[in-house]
Amino acid sequence: MHDWIGYVRGKLPPLNAGPQRESAIIAELALQMEQTYNDAISAGEPEAVALRRARAQFADWQGLAGDINSVERRALSANRATLLAGFLRDLRYASRSLMRSRGFAAVAIATLAFGIGANTAIFTLVDAVAIRSVPYYQANRLVAVETRKAQQPELEPWTSTLDFADLRQHATSFATLAGVSPIWNVVMTGRGETERVESLYVSADFFPTLGVGAQVGRTFTAEEDIRARPAAVVVLSHALWSRRFGADAAILGQAITFDSQSYRVIGVLPGDFRYAGEPVAGTASEIDAWFPLAANPIVNSARSLRFLKVVGRLKPGISIAQCADEVRRIGNNVSSENPATNRGFVLDAKGFSAQVTGRFRLAMLLLLGTVGFVLLMACANVANLLMARASARQREISIRAALGASRLRLFQQMLAEGAVLAVAGGVSGIGLAYFALRFLVAVAPTSLVHPGSVALDGRALAFTTFAVVIATLLASLPTGWRVARDQIECGLRSSGRSFTGGGNRLRSALVVVQIAAALVLMVGAGLLIRSFQRVLEVDPGFRPANLLTVSTQLPSGTQSPAQRTALLRTIRESLQAMPGVESVAAISRLPLLGSNLSTWLFPEGKFLPGEPGHDVEYRAATINYFTTMGIPLKAGKLFDDRDIATPDANILVNETAARKFWPGENPVGKRVKLGTRPERHPWITVIGIVGDVRHSGIDSEPRPEVYRPDVLSPLGAPILVVRTVSDPGLLAPSITARIRSVAAGMPTYNVFSMQALVDRSTAQRRFVMLLLTGFAAAALILAGVGVYGTVSQSVVQRTQEIGLRMALGASPGSALRLVLGQGVRLTAAGLMAGSVGAFGLARGMRSMLFAIGPMDAVAYLEAALLLAVFAGLACYFPARRATRVDPLVALRSNS
Amino acid sequence: MIILAMLEGRPRHGYELAKLIESQSESQLQFHVASLYPMLYRLERKLLVEGKWVEKAGERRRRFYKLTPAGRRALVVHRRTWREFVSALNRLTGFSHA
Repeated sequence: MHDWIGYVRGKLPPLNAGPQRESAIIAELALQMEQTYNDAISAGEPEAVALRRARAQFADWQGLAGDINSVERRALSANRATLLAGFLRDLRYASRSLMRSRGFAAVAIATLAFGIGANTAIFTLVDAVAIRSVPYYQANRLVAVETRKAQQPELEPWTSTLDFADLRQHATSFATLAGVSPIWNVVMTGRGETERVESLYVSADFFPTLGVGAQVGRTFTAEEDIRARPAAVVVLSHALWSRRFGADAAILGQAITFDSQSYRVIGVLPGDFRYAGEPVAGTASEIDAWFPLAANPIVNSARSLRFLKVVGRLKPGISIAQCADEVRRIGNNVSSENPATNRGFVLDAKGFSAQVTGRFRLAMLLLLGTVGFVLLMACANVANLLMARASARQREISIRAALGASRLRLFQQMLAEGAVLAVAGGVSGIGLAYFALRFLVAVAPTSLVHPGSVALDGRALAFTTFAVVIATLLASLPTGWRVARDQIECGLRSSGRSFTGGGNRLRSALVVVQIAAALVLMVGAGLLIRSFQRVLEVDPGFRPANLLTVSTQLPSGTQSPAQRTALLRTIRESLQAMPGVESVAAISRLPLLGSNLSTWLFPEGKFLPGEPGHDVEYRAATINYFTTMGIPLKAGKLFDDRDIATPDANILVNETAARKFWPGENPVGKRVKLGTRPERHPWITVIGIVGDVRHSGIDSEPRPEVYRPDVLSPLGAPILVVRTVSDPGLLAPSITARIRSVAAGMPTYNVFSMQALVDRSTAQRRFVMLLLTGFAAAALILAGVGVYGTVSQSVVQRTQEIGLRMALGASPGSALRLVLGQGVRLTAAGLMAGSVGAFGLARGMRSMLFAIGPMDAVAYLEAALLLAVFAGLACYFPARRATRVDPLVALRSNS
Repeated sequence: MIILAMLEGRPRHGYELAKLIESQSESQLQFHVASLYPMLYRLERKLLVEGKWVEKAGERRRRFYKLTPAGRRALVVHRRTWREFVSALNRLTGFSHA
């Protein structure tokens, strides 16, 4: 006599039912075993066989307990451990089952790996560029103060030293407040090879504000930064220290000559320090030398000369909003005390990181958002694959459902499959992200991505994990929901095609979502591509081909105007004599190099005494500058040798200035004054109008400009432009060598072909456009695969119907139409839904568009057409299979 | 539906149901008895069947399941759906032999 109840009690894990209920269940299960055993014995089976039969009734006790518990009232809340054990078993089962269908698993994993990898790479990039590009102590307590011109908010927000001093005196929100000069090019001499380095003049509070200390020595003290008597001291970058001084601490206290003045080295910054803020942000500049702000040559300039960027650290307990209120108030007071210089200007404050990343943030968030769409589409594709697979395994699922597997269990099983795929996809995705990131850093403009600042790290891994969870849910929820909902009834009802009706609806919905998402991305990419085309079509205002530019700095020995003019002439004549050189000119500020100098212009008869003048860009040029650059003359005449005799009498204006200051008039022959105090300056005659030049970027509108002959105030740092017969890059080395042979020790830097500068000015736009186009292409392919899969599946399912129709006399053409019709309906629905989303995206990226609106019909039509053609192709192949259905074969088949 | 249908005529106990499914489906359904009991408990919880321990003379004490009125109604609905489906299938295959 066997103790069946004891056996069951020993095997069955504890149930979450009351003791009475548990005993009843145990008794019933024991009875099942006992009866099986007794029947076997009565049938004449040997004892061992009968025993085996009885035990085989319930082999998986763990699973049985789980199933029972999922029914019992208290099971769900109290029995997490069993649930977890069940899920682990499901994971093992799912892995084994996926191993059996390797092709399916490979496609699904590759799709998810692509989606997750692309997302991880872009997230890492965006994280580095736009989210945490200010690597300083408590960076969220740093504030940038900006002086904005109310009329021209797009201008760089520089602040004058006097405004900065007022701010520092009156503001109570800041623990420390520091001023930063523009990037200053200085020439380091007297220590081996002459080298031009980029430097910043910063106030003594600068390093403490950022929370950065020197690695060797110290940074500036307040005593070294007093305007009346600045100390001749310098702090070196780690890079310069290592490169030129062998990382030897003995350099401390020694003197180095910059721009022929001697500075004592007091400190070296840490190797990982890089100033991320303005004015460096958005450039590839590396600052190698730091001087006290008080030592800057123009620090004692008037209030109208604005050239500082200001950064401060908030006092504890003060918010950015409170600080901004105070700064605005002080700005208003300063304006009313200094109307001549400050009228029309407002002081404001915002988060330091917002200032630094502001220009990239939109583009970066756009990329992050769109790559999210790609992941969404990858998930939709995998969800579609899983549903097709569930259809194929439906008999198995039905029987499990009919015979007691709970909704939760079935749902868990579907979830487990999605989880296995997503984890595999995530792991492969990280590998993919690593290479994708290397590629991105390699192709991204250095002004956007600083190599070395971007790497896969904990945050990226956390993001990937998040992506995996999302992918798991998105990919397996539709199937899980479907299977769990249909559970019993549906499963047995239709012996073989239960999921087809509603399942097809769900899969169709997924395809519609995919097409819609693809359209959104493609319209976004299309708008950027068309904007980029427009940018490329923009006339920069000069002929960039075969044009070389070399920035120089005349040696400090050439201080007098006559010496400068003579040296420049010698250099130009020497270059002119070189074979392959057509002409050589010089200018004070070159287009696209990012520096401007502005002044005020007072047109005769159009201003009242005491009124501020019009802001204009000011440039000094050699007389052949316009012919060398290829800047056209629109009216009047260019400078000639006679104008040089009276250099202060004549001026050229650009078309924008002519339009703005003399609307409807011919400015040639009109007189103007330049400068801050018109009463002190002579009248100057406009002798000609030249074409507009896109100085600050191909995609920024030209501003009013005036040109004066360089002999008026000979250039200390002339930028040479050399028109060559052929590719200027080949001539660059011999040209710089020639300059140095004429004036020994003269630095030559920023040696570019103008074409390269034009390309650089569009680099960020090109980068974002290329990435978004890549995503759009991926979306197009994913959508195509989705349509293909759904339509193919439906052809397989409708084989009988198609066969029947053809047996009744329908032509292959009508079968083709039947299948294509389905594809067309899905595509049309997707396109309609997508165009709404696309319009939303387009409005969000309005500021990134150039010369087209967010409703640009061509971009929408092109994207929709391309998507429709692609979807058509994806339908065509399954449709053609449908036309080849043999009616007899189709009707006989019962699957 | 299968279980509901089997209980339509008279109450049965678990072992009997298992035997019936096995024999009547002629092993077409890959059925495991371990799934039967959770299924019965589920139907019980949905108030479609009612289980009761019954002791008959000369037999062991067993738990018998019988259809509740709700279970009966559910069976009618399931049957109708099933019939509609089968007749659709018949119509389709009827054409195929024409």
